Amino acid sequence: MTIVTIEQRSREAAMTRQREQPPKSGGILIRGLGKTFDGNQRVEALLAVDLAVRQGEFLCIVGPSGCGKTTLLRILAGLEQPTAGSVEFDIQRDDRPLQSMVFQEQSVFPWLTVLDNVAFGLTVRGVARREREKIARGYLTKLGLDHFARAYPRQLSGGMRQRVNLARAFANDPAILLMDEPLASLDEQTKMLVQEDLLRLWEGSSKTVIFITHSLDEAIVLGDRVAVMSHRPARIKVAYEISLPRPRNALELRNNPDFIVARAQVWDALREEVLSADAAIEPSHG
Amino acid sequence: MAESQLRSANQVSGTRARRSSRREFGARAPLERLVSVGSPIVLLIAWEIAARLHWIDVRILPAPTVVVATIIDLFRNADLAGDTWATIERFLMGMAVGTIPGVFVGLTMGLFRWVGIVLNPIFALFYNVPRIALFPLVLILVGLNDTSNILMIALGPFFTMLITSMGAVMNVEPIYRDVARNFNARPRHLYLMVTLPAITPALMDGLRLSVGLGLLGTIAVEFLVADNGLGHLIWNSWQVLSLKQSMAGLVVAAVVGWFFYGSLALLERVVMPWQRRTTFV
Ligand SMILES: Nc1ncnc2c1ncn2[C@@H]1O[C@H](COP(=O)(O)OP(=O)(O)O)[C@@H](O)[C@H]1O
Ligand SMILES: [Mg+2]
Repeated sequence: MTIVTIEQRSREAAMTRQREQPPKSGGILIRGLGKTFDGNQRVEALLAVDLAVRQGEFLCIVGPSGCGKTTLLRILAGLEQPTAGSVEFDIQRDDRPLQSMVFQEQSVFPWLTVLDNVAFGLTVRGVARREREKIARGYLTKLGLDHFARAYPRQLSGGMRQRVNLARAFANDPAILLMDEPLASLDEQTKMLVQEDLLRLWEGSSKTVIFITHSLDEAIVLGDRVAVMSHRPARIKVAYEISLPRPRNALELRNNPDFIVARAQVWDALREEVLSADAAIEPSHG
Repeated sequence: MAESQLRSANQVSGTRARRSSRREFGARAPLERLVSVGSPIVLLIAWEIAARLHWIDVRILPAPTVVVATIIDLFRNADLAGDTWATIERFLMGMAVGTIPGVFVGLTMGLFRWVGIVLNPIFALFYNVPRIALFPLVLILVGLNDTSNILMIALGPFFTMLITSMGAVMNVEPIYRDVARNFNARPRHLYLMVTLPAITPALMDGLRLSVGLGLLGTIAVEFLVADNGLGHLIWNSWQVLSLKQSMAGLVVAAVVGWFFYGSLALLERVVMPWQRRTTFV
């Protein structure tokens, strides 16, 4: 078992870490994670995020816009350094990547064919062409993109591009998938179809997923748990277990009474945060 | 939701507007093409007539037919082919020595903030020196040989590609670099699979400028030191007041320039296959 630690600046957090044992079940342990941007304006994005992500779970995070969801995910993705606290990843194998991020639709490389886009992670890891194309084609088949292997992204619809994006992350075979509102730009029908594709890929994979969304329905359709973030500077306010049975069907689920109850519960928690986030905006402070 | 639908509706109408304007352009295109081919021909005919009627001094500006005859004569009885080839060779060497390092250095300066901060003032200093004024220095440092010539030719394309690529890298959508970083891309992949293709459209514009500058540099060094090449022919003929020959060299040089400038359109299609407009959906 290996523990990978994102750089942690806070001495306090480091001491805590020595006292406690690392998580045994695997997953991600986020402790007192803070992030302050020191630009022209100091922005305190994350205050102290505490969150334990179980291995293999599908965790959705919702929160008021601008509260720091993207910042949290970028720290987990290694694209941003925290200013306080620590993140521990617990992984069982080190022969595959720790995490890959599913970015938004426009992150697909326009100059690579669909096949080369999907194989990107494998290419930079030095996997031989034959092998990586076999893996990439496997994902294209699962997503119904067989015929588009040699097409360029601009020749595809938005939904197809987002499938390419998913396939790129899955083909890299990371232990953890980080997704930042990946379906936000899709229309409602396409979104439901891609949600089903995502569930199908994930259900057979034992990967841990952290999925950020601003759609409550989406969070509950997809997630094992839904965590609600507070307004900025953000903490994790509360996390709800979503005990709807799997495999799930995005369309049927929306009429399930348990779904409606869960939705009301999460909305209650989120509503307060959205309201106080709005109240906190003072025009004079910008 | 309503907002996003509104946005996509706008996008659709935006595309339509662009398409219809292209169709209008298409309708005018045959006439435009006719005029754009026709106007140089009319000029040539006017020049021919003016020369034959001795409205202009044919010792200074020989008629087009005379120039063509001179070119044929020089190909047959002198070494115009050799001169042309010498010029093309110098030009291509200079372009290669200038553009490739230019792109590489510009990319690196754009990708790595500190490299940019350190190198930018140095290149800014050199860029503003009139390049031809560096020639004596280069001749002393490198020697009176073709290596010096090629270095001189390379300077214009080098700076052009450096500035173009550095600027273009800084305008690349940050999300592509985030993807590369998140997937642990090594520098090789960051350069070749991500950044270079992302800036290719800008590089093609830089290349267009570089072709002009490279040809200018080639002819200039041939004026000054070479003992062959079109520049040498033009300058030498002028010095012995053989303006017919000088003009012949000029025309061949122009044809060489058109050829390379025109082949960039072809190159563009080869290096940017993803920009071709075919749609599956
Ligand atoms: N690079 C940055 N520099 C300064 N401020 C930033 C930067 N990135 C994000 N922020 C600020 O941090 C806050 C949280 O942003 P973000 O994580 O993108 O929110 P969310 O994804 O929840 O909408 C916002 O107020 C945003 O303006
Ligand atoms: Mg965000």
